[in-house]
Parts: sequence; structure tokens; C-alpha cells
Amino acid sequence: MALAIKAEGIFKTYRSGWRGRRQKEALKGINLHIEKGEIFGIMGPNGAGKTTLLSILSTLLLPDRGKVQVFGIDSLRNGHQIRERVNICSGNANFLWSLTVRENLHFYGMLYGLTGRRREEKVESLIDLFELNEYRDISFDQLSTGMKQRLSLAKSLVNDPEILFLDEPTVGLDPDVAARIREMILSIHKEKGITVLLTTHNMKEAEHLCDRIAFLKEGEILATGNAQALKRMVRIGDVVKVEFKGSIVEEELLRAEGVINFSISDNLCEIIVDEGEKRLGPLVAMISQGGAQIRKVTLGQTDLEDVFTEFAKQTDSDMGLRD
Amino acid sequence: MFSPNLQSRLIQIWAFVIKNWIMTRRNVFSFFEILFWPVVGFFSIGLLTDFLSLNPNTAGFILVGIISMSVIQVCQIDVAEALLYDLWAKSMKHIFIAPVHPFQLILGSWLIGVIRSFIVFLLLSIFSNFAFGYDFFRPGLLPIGLFLLGLFLTSASVGITVCILVLVFGYKAEVAAWSLSSLMSLVCGIYYPISILPSPLPEIARAIPLTYFLEYFRSFYGFEGGFRNPLAWGFGLATMYLILEAFLFKVVLHRARRTGLLLKLSE
Repeated sequence: MALAIKAEGIFKTYRSGWRGRRQKEALKGINLHIEKGEIFGIMGPNGAGKTTLLSILSTLLLPDRGKVQVFGIDSLRNGHQIRERVNICSGNANFLWSLTVRENLHFYGMLYGLTGRRREEKVESLIDLFELNEYRDISFDQLSTGMKQRLSLAKSLVNDPEILFLDEPTVGLDPDVAARIREMILSIHKEKGITVLLTTHNMKEAEHLCDRIAFLKEGEILATGNAQALKRMVRIGDVVKVEFKGSIVEEELLRAEGVINFSISDNLCEIIVDEGEKRLGPLVAMISQGGAQIRKVTLGQTDLEDVFTEFAKQTDSDMGLRD
Repeated sequence: MFSPNLQSRLIQIWAFVIKNWIMTRRNVFSFFEILFWPVVGFFSIGLLTDFLSLNPNTAGFILVGIISMSVIQVCQIDVAEALLYDLWAKSMKHIFIAPVHPFQLILGSWLIGVIRSFIVFLLLSIFSNFAFGYDFFRPGLLPIGLFLLGLFLTSASVGITVCILVLVFGYKAEVAAWSLSSLMSLVCGIYYPISILPSPLPEIARAIPLTYFLEYFRSFYGFEGGFRNPLAWGFGLATMYLILEAFLFKVVLHRARRTGLLLKLSE
């Protein structure tokens, strides 16, 4: 599959204070390949470098070192060319306070060179798409946070971008509004097939939206993959709890496919497996055939939050992981 | 009429005209900035010249100065607002992620500044005639046109300087939008000839195009300064500064992308 973004060896250090003596390394050699048409998530704790990375890829920020290619074009040298084909939407949206929803969209439409009827149609279609009709003549400073965010998303599509950068697009929103925004993002992606690069803190959001996710910590990517693959990587697995009567043969459990670890105490056996749904049936059958009488079985599935916690507390060298 | 590409370029410039126009229209305090202060300033100085019983030529000298300063202040603030509005709205990154060239941003904001300051000029010139009997239109249309063009170019230069300072120092630089033009009123011969300035202020005045444009226009009222070809000097300097600032703007924008200031100003 063709690449939308190829970033290699990206380093970024922020300097502040007298003669730039205070330094903060934000990115330490990031390599990233993002395919055309995928939704790619960047996750990580505060200060991990998510926004810095997204800003570099979207041409808002220049790295100290490294190469960035967008659609095969060197974006560090040809930023202007790239800017025609990308757009950005950030959480906590900010736009000119006196301009109405419609005027803001027209203004940004003009900045992308849209003229006359073409711009008019585009603005109207975005107002419809994001259900902003009721608010079209309301100035930005009078909109609710949710509406501001819808406007931000609408603005980010005004030039029909081939890559959409979303920087924590649902941060600070009510859960129902956030869910609605997520559905909108999915629907836009499905309809237009654009590449989406998303930073988020929200595990459910990443799991719900992203084809692949990169975990970023202290300026380094610890792992990249889809949600399932990441869960397997951290080997925290799903938990099968079996309440039983009788005995369980531990050697059989050790040999069973997909079992990462297990513990047996009193009449409760907790088995950690790589994929709960896949292993549940064979495990229950094995325990049952071994002579134990099963009373209750529960499956606790690992979600991305557990993976996030695991990544956040360990270093890459502890985990032996690398993109 | 225009090729699609040229149309796109022109509409990008027009975007900044529209932006400044709407932002001004919706803010009642913009009225003070554009009309109230220039009119109040003009009448204050005009009445002072009456009180001091200055001869008509000296009073005219000062009135030319105050009207020129008002034109520059109104026009340069529009150019500075090319970035200031987005600085205050924290929406800077949305401007610079769009495929807009710095000259489009400046030119659009300058155009609305030209329109508004021209209205201020007309208004104050008419007041000057009625209230103080000073005919601003006596030199004729071409000299007035050249004089105004000089003032507009000087304003562009001041406004771009503010934008450059904003891209280097962020919020700390916004005060420059009001102080730079006031500084010019001290050294460029607005209320007095630059010959009375202590050194090195006359040398500084000679490096500012406004000094020459004022001298050119006052020459129609019998004030001969010490410069030969003040128009050539004025336009030459103004062009040189604009070229230099265009280069500097690109440099500081690149720097702002490198240091992360564009992001910081959008948070």
C-alpha cells in the first residue's frame, strides 16, 4: 500500500531561557510510516511528544533533524505544496471570535483559494454535514464547546484534505458530544477515504477509530500496531476466571496454547491468555476433561487502557519493544 | 477574466480584507481607534494652534503633520492586525497551516487599511478646511496621490515591523502596534521641523520615509526643507524597507516554525 507519510529519524528539542539554555527533548528519533487511507492514532501520556510529532508532520513545526515525506514530497522543503493537501483540527478549538460559523468557514475557504459558487457550495455542505445550520449566524465566541469543535472539524475539511490531522479532537467534550464527533470522523473517513492522523488520550477513542496506533513515551515510539497486536505485545492478556470444584492439572495448563500465566488458589483459577475469546472454549473443555467440576467462568478482556497503563509505567528497554 | 490560479491567489488576499472588515464592524471600540481618536487629536491640535495665534502657514505645517500621523496610525494598525487578531484569538496556526504566502496576508490587510485611512484623510481634510481654513487639496490630485501613497507605504512598513516582532516575541510585542507610530511622531517632523531635533534624532529622521513625504507635501505650502528630491528619497527608502521586511518576515516565520512559537501562540 502507498504511503501517505514517511517520517525518519525525527528529533526535536525545545529551547527556552537565556540563549536557549533550558532544553527539553520532545522527540528522540521518531520513525513512522502511515499508509494512505488509514486512521493512525498516536497515544501517550502528557508531554510524550504527541502534539509535537503531529505538528511536524503537518508542517507547523520544523524538526531539528530527520526527514518527512508526505505523498513522497519532502515536506520540510516544500511545506507550501503540502499545506494545500492537508488540514488540521485541534481540541479546544480557537477561531476569530467575531466571525460567525458561516463567515469562519468562508474565511478559511478563501485561504484555501476557493472562489465563488464552489466556496458557497462547500461551506453549505459542511454546515449540513456537521449540523451547524441552526448556528450558522452565531459568532464563534457564543458557541458551546461542542459546537466550536464541530466548526473546527468543518473547517478542517474545507479544502477536501487528503490527510487530516486531528489533535485530541474530543478533549474537554461531554461524552455524548465526543461520541458524536467520533462518529462524524468515522463517517468522513469512510465516505472520503482520507488518511487521518489522530492524537488522543482516550483509549476507547483510539480503539474505536484507529486502524493502527503508535505508543509514544518521552519522545520515543515504544510500539506500533493495531489494538490486538498491542495487547499481545505487552503480554498482559485477557483473564479467564474459573470457579471450580475438584482439581486442575497445572502441567496441562502450562502446555495449553495461548496461556501466558495462571494462578490457582482455593477453588478459583485465574488464567491469563493472549486472546480470551479464542482460548475460552478449549480451556474450559480441558479443565472439565481433567476432572474438575466447573461452577462459573468469567472472561475479563484487556482494553487499550490497560495497555496504555502498562506502556506508561515501563520503559521500552524493560519491554524489549521497538517499532 | 482571471485564470483559476490567479483567482485563487486573489481570493486569498481578499480573505484578509474581509476578515479585518468584519472584525472592525463587529467591535464598537474599533470606531474609536479609526475615527474618534484621529478626530479628537486633530481638533485638539487645531484648537491649540488657534489659541497660540500661530500664523496660517505654521498652523498648516502642524495640521499636515497631524493628518499624516492619523492616516499612518489607522493604516498601520490594519496591517499589524493581519497577525494581531489571530494572536488574540489564539488561531495563529490555522493561518499558517493554510497555503498562504506572507505577502498575501500583508497585502490584504494593507488594502483595508488603505481604504479606512483614506476615509480618515478625507474627513480630516474637510474638517481642516471648514474649521481652520486650511485647504488640503490646494497642491492638486497628483501630489496628494503621491503623498498618500507614501504614507500608505510607510504604514505598511510599520505594520510589517509589528508582525515581525510578534513572530519573534509573541504577545510581548503587541504593544509595538501603538508605540512604533508614536515614536515616528517624535522624530519625523510631525509637529516641528526636524532641524530643531538634537543629534542623533535628525539622522534617524532621515532614515524614515515619512520625513521626506511630509517635506514634499509641505513644499506646496512654502516650507522648503533641506532635502533634494524628497519624493525619490521617500519612495526609495520605503521600497528598500519593504523588500528588507519581506525577507525578514520569511526568516522570522521560519524561525517561529522552528522554535514552536506558532504553536505556543495558538494555545
